[in-house]
Amino acid sequence: MPAPLHPLTSLTAACCTAAVTTAAGSWPLSVAVSAAAAVLAVRAGAGRRVLTAAAAVLLPLGLSLLMLHGLFFPEGRTVLAAWGPARVTAEGLAFALEAGTRTGACVLVLLLFSFTVSAPDLVAALNVRGLPPQFSFVLASALTLLPAVAGRLGAIRTAQESRGLVLGGGALARLAAVRVQMVPLVLGLLEESGHRAQALEARGFGRPGPRTSYREVPDPPAQRRLRAVLLVLAAAAVALRLGASWPAAGLL
Amino acid sequence: MTGAGPAAAVGTHDMLAARINSFSFHGDAAPALRNVEFGVRAGTLTAVLGGSGSGKTTLGKLLAGWHRPGHSGTLAGWLELAGERLEFRGGGDDPRINPAGWSDRVGYVPQDAAAMLSTVRSTVAEELAFGLENRGTPRPDMLREVGRIADLTGLAAFLDRDPATLSGGELRRLAIACAVITEPQVLVLDEPLASLDAAGVIVVRDLIARLTKAGTAVVVLSQSADGLARSAARWLVLDGGTAAAGGRPRELLRSPELARSGVVLHAVTHTAPAVRAGLPAGAAPVLELDGLGFCYPGAGGAAGERPLLRDLHLRVRPGEVVAITGPNGAGKSTLLRHLNGLLQPLAGEVRVQGRSIASLPTGRVAAAVGLLFQHPRDQLFERTVLREVGFGLRRLRGREAGAAADAALDAVGLSGEAGTHPAELPASKQRLLALATALARRPAVLALDEPTVGLDRHGLAVLRRAIDAEVARGAAVILVTHDPLFASSTAHRVLVLEGGALREP
Repeated sequence: MPAPLHPLTSLTAACCTAAVTTAAGSWPLSVAVSAAAAVLAVRAGAGRRVLTAAAAVLLPLGLSLLMLHGLFFPEGRTVLAAWGPARVTAEGLAFALEAGTRTGACVLVLLLFSFTVSAPDLVAALNVRGLPPQFSFVLASALTLLPAVAGRLGAIRTAQESRGLVLGGGALARLAAVRVQMVPLVLGLLEESGHRAQALEARGFGRPGPRTSYREVPDPPAQRRLRAVLLVLAAAAVALRLGASWPAAGLL
Repeated sequence: MTGAGPAAAVGTHDMLAARINSFSFHGDAAPALRNVEFGVRAGTLTAVLGGSGSGKTTLGKLLAGWHRPGHSGTLAGWLELAGERLEFRGGGDDPRINPAGWSDRVGYVPQDAAAMLSTVRSTVAEELAFGLENRGTPRPDMLREVGRIADLTGLAAFLDRDPATLSGGELRRLAIACAVITEPQVLVLDEPLASLDAAGVIVVRDLIARLTKAGTAVVVLSQSADGLARSAARWLVLDGGTAAAGGRPRELLRSPELARSGVVLHAVTHTAPAVRAGLPAGAAPVLELDGLGFCYPGAGGAAGERPLLRDLHLRVRPGEVVAITGPNGAGKSTLLRHLNGLLQPLAGEVRVQGRSIASLPTGRVAAAVGLLFQHPRDQLFERTVLREVGFGLRRLRGREAGAAADAALDAVGLSGEAGTHPAELPASKQRLLALATALARRPAVLALDEPTVGLDRHGLAVLRRAIDAEVARGAAVILVTHDPLFASSTAHRVLVLEGGALREP
């Protein structure tokens, strides 16, 4: 079995894939990247979470792209349909497709990374590289925020159910339940963060000076080389794209 | 001060000493502490005793630098650590405490053990190492220290577990271990024995003995004059935010100051631990557990481990009190969560008033089963104490809801706090408030998870009265506790949960 991916390798891979896809600006490539990310997410057992989160981000975005560029695209020449000032043009649809698939690929790749990376490994890897611990703590808190919020929400719901709150029923009942849970959720998180800050300070978290890491994350040389190659590829793709966009500069 | 003299007062060779003329939190008119003099020597155990709201935790946090003068409140007086005295007058030119430097020398474990955790470490071993990492300890030393402290605190078997999956007692030992591992000269422990089983109590007492022998000054804050407190060299008794008495335990044990305070005196309050008598015979059981089996899916990475509960049977009749004891992590809280359907058994059935609750949502079962959680803070979510008790009550009690809420608050002695935010109550009153939320619903079955933790003598009296009233009303009471005296003096039957099943002790 190959060595598990070092968190920096998966971070580099995700960022470089997003950069190359954006630079290439070709919808078949974007679709292929999205599909690959979806397959990897399913294989990593995070398919449902990644796809749900991606849908939450991409559906409204896709709709707005269609509305904006599909209906109002000034450069559009091939008119497919028109209602007053709104014209559906082939060019507009193509642009919307291009932009939509490109954004979709980037979102999926980055979500795949954030839902599959081990937060403790990432924090340890960043600490070893001398990043301020406050930074990696914020990063780790962000990555673990959803589970933490879900946990607290679960505790509040448990308490409320134990006192006669019946969940389920229609959309209105659910909305009412969300309302009674939000206030204690936010207040609880604020109160907890205050206590947490005190405890962290007492355990030497704010100290200046060097730090060590208990957790060891193996970083095989092959993965370091892979990261370098990925970065070079991404830089090349961006340079090519810039060259293609400004032919005059490219000729000089 | 008592005739015994201010023996816990400042001496010349104290590791940590304080003179608090007054300390007030920002925005509070009345001082939380006044006229307290305190000193603790290297290699000794000192107990600060007092009832709920006596100022123990405030004093502990001041000593440990968790409450910093100027930052958390205004202090008039001084703090002295290892011979270096900091004078505070409550003005802008007061010295500032550097929390990192102070906590190097004074460790503190809060009453709520979970508040000690970093929350970003994924195993017990990494959580233990967090303080060492921040001090730049080389990794080989860290590995050795983590192993050593885990052995001392009985956590060696838990090193790879996610801290979030630990039971209440295991979490407390982890919090203590996290403070001990950086080897502070002074260690302040707030209610260190709360929710520990008998084995856990021995582990912590042994650890404290070992630390004092090695020269650490240990301060225990407690509302109980228990065995640990009695092994202390000195006591300071706090009452109403001021020092009521100080001296050696045997000088103070029978003092009027201690008797007036809310400190629990086991020998006094449990003189007649007779098992409750007078259970009316013949009534049909109100709660039946039939062949209950349960296992958390892959809990703590131990998937495929033996089930937490297996083939568990229990019948409880109206007006009966059953106490369940057992080691930490045996599944006591898990069992209680089955009673109102928060957890569904993998095998067997729970019947309340003769009816299976398998297909009922918890919100419906809640009309018949009231549950007091182990951590009352998890149970409180409203803006005021009165709203908290009133939550969902109208649906159950109709027009009587208002009166029922008032009566429940009155029963636990919180009528005067109706407008207070639950988060601002001390831990003991939070527990009583959570109890009131269950009482107000007049359930047929009342399930109490560790109801005595954090309660002082007055709080325990309230709890006993409430249980008596529930029994008189015909409710069945099931309580989980680590306090054997409370169990035997309150319950008709005491059962032990061990190896997944209930047995007679």
